[in-house]
Amino acid sequence: MNYSNKYLDSNKLRQNVIDMAKNGNSVHIGCAFSMIELFAILYEKFAKIDLKNLENPERDLVCLSKGHGVMAVYSCLYELGVLDKIHLDKYFSDGSLLKGLSDSHVPGIEVTGGSLGHGITVSVGYALAIKLKTQDRKVFCFVGDGEMNEGSVWESLLFAAHWKLNNFILVVDANDFQAMGRAKDVLNCESFKSKLESFNFETWECDGHSRKEIEDTYRKALDSKNETPKAIIARTVKGKGISFMEDDNIWHYTRLDETTYRLATKELSESK
Amino acid sequence: MREILSKFLSEKAKLNSNLYVFSGDHGYALFDELRKTKPNQFINAGVSEQAMVGYAAGMVKEGMKVFVYGLSAFVPIRVLEFIKMDVCYENLPVIFLGDGAGLVYATLGASHQCAEDIGCLRTLPNMRIYSPADPFEMKACLEDAYSSNSPCYIRIGKADKARVHNQHFTLIPDQIISIIRRNSDTCIISTGSMLSVSLELSAKYNFSVFSAPILTNLDSEILISEISSYKNIISIEEHSINGGLGSILSEILSESGNANNQRLLRIGIQNRFTQKCGSYEYAIKEHGLDFSSIEEKLKQKCLIR
Repeated sequence: MNYSNKYLDSNKLRQNVIDMAKNGNSVHIGCAFSMIELFAILYEKFAKIDLKNLENPERDLVCLSKGHGVMAVYSCLYELGVLDKIHLDKYFSDGSLLKGLSDSHVPGIEVTGGSLGHGITVSVGYALAIKLKTQDRKVFCFVGDGEMNEGSVWESLLFAAHWKLNNFILVVDANDFQAMGRAKDVLNCESFKSKLESFNFETWECDGHSRKEIEDTYRKALDSKNETPKAIIARTVKGKGISFMEDDNIWHYTRLDETTYRLATKELSESK
Repeated sequence: MREILSKFLSEKAKLNSNLYVFSGDHGYALFDELRKTKPNQFINAGVSEQAMVGYAAGMVKEGMKVFVYGLSAFVPIRVLEFIKMDVCYENLPVIFLGDGAGLVYATLGASHQCAEDIGCLRTLPNMRIYSPADPFEMKACLEDAYSSNSPCYIRIGKADKARVHNQHFTLIPDQIISIIRRNSDTCIISTGSMLSVSLELSAKYNFSVFSAPILTNLDSEILISEISSYKNIISIEEHSINGGLGSILSEILSESGNANNQRLLRIGIQNRFTQKCGSYEYAIKEHGLDFSSIEEKLKQKCLIR
């Protein structure tokens, strides 16, 4: 099995999210925008998935524990041909498939992540099973910095390190916001790096919007021969890519209207 | 009963190298045999019950057979939402073993007592709930759960006092079991530990007795016809009177239209915390579940003289 090798353009991915959000009158746009490059590079070059058989037992597992960023994943899955345009067009319409939080009943989605601190526990279970089966497969688990408030996250980190789950790669989408404010003001979990290192994770930090840095960091994590789980702290911007959304937590909740949709679309079409 | 469980786990583990038993640092002696014979198939997740449920879900999705053991006050109660989202929503065949159900840990107080597990779990889609009354029922429940494709919960209470059955049997997964049939207008339907006192009451007052080792998806038509000849039905359980066996029976009876005009008396743990510290027998008495308290209640209700 191999990587998709399909270039996933950030602007296109963001436009898909904007379209979905407009169609479904959805919130959580900012939550998805901070994760766009992280997923784009992962699907393009690092996650082994079989687009013809999503359940292929040799695949890597891409697990979105931070369910609120799910539109970023839908957008990638659409570009990869897993989801159809109708799924984006009919987002949130009656009887439709895609929910507003990650849900493992959707093709290509491996964990149900709406309730925070759950997806990581299941992901760690995957990683343990894979290790016990002595298979060469990776588990990529995405959590939010707000999600790091959850006790079950830290329980999972302890367990992953105790069992030396070197196939487990945690990615923290550190966009510095959670639902009601700055992450450090609500419940400060920093420094993620020193905490994760003290939990015996081999840990890197990177700019979560720089394709080069993300690629280099994924590569380092996958090339590492250390018998420890890995963690990547991706420094991101909530709402990244649209000037009036960037670093403004209102886009956790705000829905697009005709004007903001037009402005966002215009910005994306003009940006390189 | 715990010996049966211990033996079952080690035997199945020998046959299936993909079987794993998770514990949240509980059950010290219970797993001695498993840990001796198949040490790699026993995983002590540490004192992290909720995360352990998620690990189990991930393992099952990767093709493993997984048991999750805990005290019922913690598994399923403390971890209820993890069971709901990570196991029931996915309909994964994780087998949960909840030990010490009811008032077993009387001396340890409210944190370790558990009168609400059946009531909580029976609102979760896909979950099968077992409540065995003796070692034979335990074996039958374990076998049934082991072959199930759905999440299962086995409620393990202080159910080793009564000898309810005298041989191994296969569970009929949607029915209660007739234990003693008497020519009487009153029957007891009981589950788990309360079979013991139910049999004593039967011996003295000539009641028929049924055991309910499985509490989900009961076939209401079969149940109604099974008990149609009784005027009075008494449910006895070491679980809250709200949400357990008594509630299940009252739902079935009322939805059936109660054509035989039957009266149901629910006997169980009152909807309050145990007030004082004391032995198991003391706590049972405090909640009115000992022989003489039940006798007194039946007199008040004019079911016996």
